[in-house]
Amino acid sequence: MPVSGIVVTCSSASVDTVALELAKQDGIEVHGVLPEGRIVAVVEADTVDAEVELVSGLEEIEGVVSVQLAYHNFEEL
Amino acid sequence: MGLTRRDFIKASAAAAAFAAVGAPMLRPEGAEAAEAGITWGKAPCRYCGVGCSVLVGVKDGKIVTTKGDPAGPVNKGLNCIKGYFLSKALYGKDRLTKPLIRKGNKMVEATWDEALDLIASKYRQAVSQHGPDSVAMYGSGQWTVQEGYVASKLMKGGIGTNNLEPNARLCMASAVVGFMNTFGSDEPMGCYDDLDLGDTYILWGANMAEAHPVLFSRLIDNKLKHPKVRLIDIATRKTRTTKMADEYIPMRPHGDLAALNGIIHVILRDKLYDESFIREHISFKRGKENAPYGLKDKEAFNETPADVKGLSFDEYKQLMKLFTPQWAESVSGIPAGKIEELARIYSDKSRKVNSLWTMGVNQHSRGVWVNNLIYNLHLLTGKICKPGENPLSLTGQPSACGTAREVGTFAHRLPADMVVMNEAHRKKTAGIWGIDPGKISPKVGLHTVELFRAIERDEIKCIWIQCTNPFQSLPNLSRVRKAAQARKAFIVVSDIYPTRTTELADVILPSASWVEKEGVYGNTERRTQQWFKMIDPPGEAKEDTWQLIQFARRMGLGHLFPYSEKGMHREIWEEYRKFTIGTGKDLAPYQAYTKVRGLRWPIKPDGSETRWRYTDLDDQNVKKGEGIKFYKAPGNKANVWFRPYEPPAESPDKAYPFWFSTGRLLEHWHTGTMTGRVPELKRAVPGATIELHPEDAKRLGIKNRDLVRITSRRGSVVLPAEINGRGTPEKGSVFAAFFDENRLINELCIDAFDPLSKEPDFKKCAVKVKKA
Repeated sequence: MPVSGIVVTCSSASVDTVALELAKQDGIEVHGVLPEGRIVAVVEADTVDAEVELVSGLEEIEGVVSVQLAYHNFEEL
Repeated sequence: MGLTRRDFIKASAAAAAFAAVGAPMLRPEGAEAAEAGITWGKAPCRYCGVGCSVLVGVKDGKIVTTKGDPAGPVNKGLNCIKGYFLSKALYGKDRLTKPLIRKGNKMVEATWDEALDLIASKYRQAVSQHGPDSVAMYGSGQWTVQEGYVASKLMKGGIGTNNLEPNARLCMASAVVGFMNTFGSDEPMGCYDDLDLGDTYILWGANMAEAHPVLFSRLIDNKLKHPKVRLIDIATRKTRTTKMADEYIPMRPHGDLAALNGIIHVILRDKLYDESFIREHISFKRGKENAPYGLKDKEAFNETPADVKGLSFDEYKQLMKLFTPQWAESVSGIPAGKIEELARIYSDKSRKVNSLWTMGVNQHSRGVWVNNLIYNLHLLTGKICKPGENPLSLTGQPSACGTAREVGTFAHRLPADMVVMNEAHRKKTAGIWGIDPGKISPKVGLHTVELFRAIERDEIKCIWIQCTNPFQSLPNLSRVRKAAQARKAFIVVSDIYPTRTTELADVILPSASWVEKEGVYGNTERRTQQWFKMIDPPGEAKEDTWQLIQFARRMGLGHLFPYSEKGMHREIWEEYRKFTIGTGKDLAPYQAYTKVRGLRWPIKPDGSETRWRYTDLDDQNVKKGEGIKFYKAPGNKANVWFRPYEPPAESPDKAYPFWFSTGRLLEHWHTGTMTGRVPELKRAVPGATIELHPEDAKRLGIKNRDLVRITSRRGSVVLPAEINGRGTPEKGSVFAAFFDENRLINELCIDAFDPLSKEPDFKKCAVKVKKA
C-alpha cells in the first residue's frame, strides 16, 4: 500500500475550509495547516492508482492553488 | 510502543512535506526508522524540462521510494503529480527486455550480436551504395548529454553525414534560432530566480500550471507573498493557468505576431523605450520576408547574411508605424486599448517585467519571428539581463537544452553553438575528435520534417530512432506512417516500452532508462545535473550509449570511442567539455556535478555558476563596470528585428471552420509512453478528449462526452467531447492533447513549419467538427 506526503497550497482565505474538506476524505490525513495557505497531508490508498485519483481530485477543490508531492513510498507493505 | 512500519513510513511522508514547506522542526516520531535499509541517490526528474531534483530510494535493487529533493534549488523538496510515476514508469509489465528482429509480420527475439550485426550490415550497405547521406539517426531531448554526444560524433565525425536530428526540432528549434539571431548564443540570459524576484509575468500562450507546474508554483509563491505581483495570461484557451492569473487576455491563434508588433508600435510612438540602452546595446535588422511554409518537399529557404539589411533606429520606427493598435486588434482580437496597456506595462520603470513562453510561440509557422518580437520588447525597454526581469523561453524535455542544443544534435549544429557550415567550427570539432576535418560534411543534414519525407522518397535507406516516438508525434502523421509502412527504409528503434514507433521497426532494441544508467541532463535555466546508476535495467536492456558504441565498432569506427567501461560517462563528459572552455558556455569538470544539484553555465574559473548572463553583476565574461554586454553577438550588440505579420499556413474556411490546436496535460507527458503505461494515470485521464467552447458545442448539438468526429485535410479522429472541463478553448477553436496512443491526434496536424527554424506548427490548422 503506497503512502505519500503532499503539500496543498491554497489561497490563504480558504485554507481552513480546504483543510476540513481534505480531512473528510478517506485516505487523507491532515498533519498541519501552516501560514501562507499551506496544508501538509499524508495520503494512503490500496494502490498508487487510487492514490493518484485522490490527489488529482484535490486540484478541483475550490481554493486549492496547487498540489505537490514531497514523498512517495511504494515498497510492498 | 505499538508503532508499525506503516506508521514510520507515514511519519516519514509527513516529515518530508513539513521540511519542504520550511517547517522541518515538525518532524514526527519514527520518521528515521522508515528509511532503514534504503540507499538514497540524487537525479533530475525524468519528465519535463524544468529539471526538478529527486531523491531516489533503493532497497534490494529496486526503487521503493522517491522524494522531492530538499537540496534541489529548482523545486526545493517538492515534485508535481508526475512524481508519482517516476519510478513506476520503469516497472511497467511490458518493458522491452530483449532485442527483436522483424521476420515478416512478427518480431522475433534475437541476441545483441545478431541485432547489432544486422544493423551494421544495413548501414554499411547503404553507405557504400548510396553514400553517407542515405542513412540517419533521430534522437531526443531526453537523451543524456553522453548519449547525444556519442551519436553526434558517430554520425558527423564517423559516418560523415549530418543527418542527425533530435525530436527537439519539434519543440525548441524556434527558440534556438531566436536566441542565435538575436544574441549570437543559444539559451537564456536569465534563470528561475527571476520567477522569485520579478513582479510582472506575461505569459504568451503558455499553460505553465500544467506543463511546468513546479515553476508555476514558484511564481504563485511569489504572488502570494507580494501583492504587487501581476500575472497576465495571453492565450487562445482558458486553462488552469488562467484560473490563477490576474488577467486573462484571449487572443486569436497566430495573433501573437500582430499583438507584439502592436505593442512595439506603441512603445515607439510614445517614446516609452530606453534610449541609452538602445544606443549602447542594439542593432536594428530587417530580414527576408514573404517566407514559404515548408509544404512543398525540398523547399529551400534561408536567411543568409546577404538577405539581412541593417536599419537605423529611425528607419525601424518608420517601418513599425504600420502596426497600429487598431490593426493589431483586427488581427489578434486583443482590443487596441489592451495593446496600449500592455505597452505601458512592459515599459513601466517601476515594474520588473518577465515574458514566459513555450510551445505556443515555438510551434508556430513564424515562431522565430515571435521569439524575436518578444526579445524586441525587452531590448527596447532595457528589461533584460537584470535579476527579476528577463524573457524566459521554457523547454519541454529534460535535456532539450543540455543535449539537443548544447551538444548540438541538430542537422546543422556542432557542440557549443558551432555549426557544420562553418569551416573553422568543423576544424575545431575535428581537432577534439581526432579526425580529418574533411570527414565532417559542410552540408546541412535533413531537418526532421524533411528527413521523414525523404523516407517516403526512398532517399533514406536506414534510420535509427532512439528515445522518442516520432510515429505518434510528427505532424501530418498518416503520411509519415505510410512511408514507414512501405518498408523501404530499414528502421531501428531503441526504447523502453512498445510504442506506435516500435510497431513500425525492423529492429527493436531494449534500452536502459533514467537511473538504470549514469547520465547528465541540462534544463531550461542552463543547469547541468548529473546522476549515477542506481539500479540494473531489466533483462538484457542496455543504455543507448553502449548500443551506439557497439554499433560503431561494427562500422569500423570503434577508435572514435576509446572510453573505459568503468569511467565511460566521465570520460565522454571531459572530452565534450573541451568544446565549451573559453566560449562563454563553459562547463565544469565531471566531478563537480557529482556533488551538487546542478550548476548553471557558464562556470566561472573558481568553479561557481552564473545566474545571469551578459551582465557584470554575475557573468565573468563581462568586466566590472561594463554593465551589460552581449559579448556573443557581433559588435556586442543584440539585434532588434523588424518582423512583419504574415498569415498562418492554413486558416479556417467554410469547409473546415474551426482552429485545431494540440498540447499537453499535467498527468500525461508527450506521447504517454512513460505516463500512459501506468494504469493509474490512464484512469485519472482515461483517453484524449476534444475540448470545445460551450457555445460552439451547443450550436452543433454536442453534449459533454458525446463522440465527436474531427476532420482536417489530412486525417480524421473520433474523440469524446469535453465541455467546461479543465480547459476551454476560445470560440471557433478546439483542442486535444496528443498523449493517447489509441487516437493519433497528430494525423490532423499540418506539416507546415517555420522557414527559419524548420519547426512544425502543431498549434494551428483547420478542422471540421461533427457529432459522430
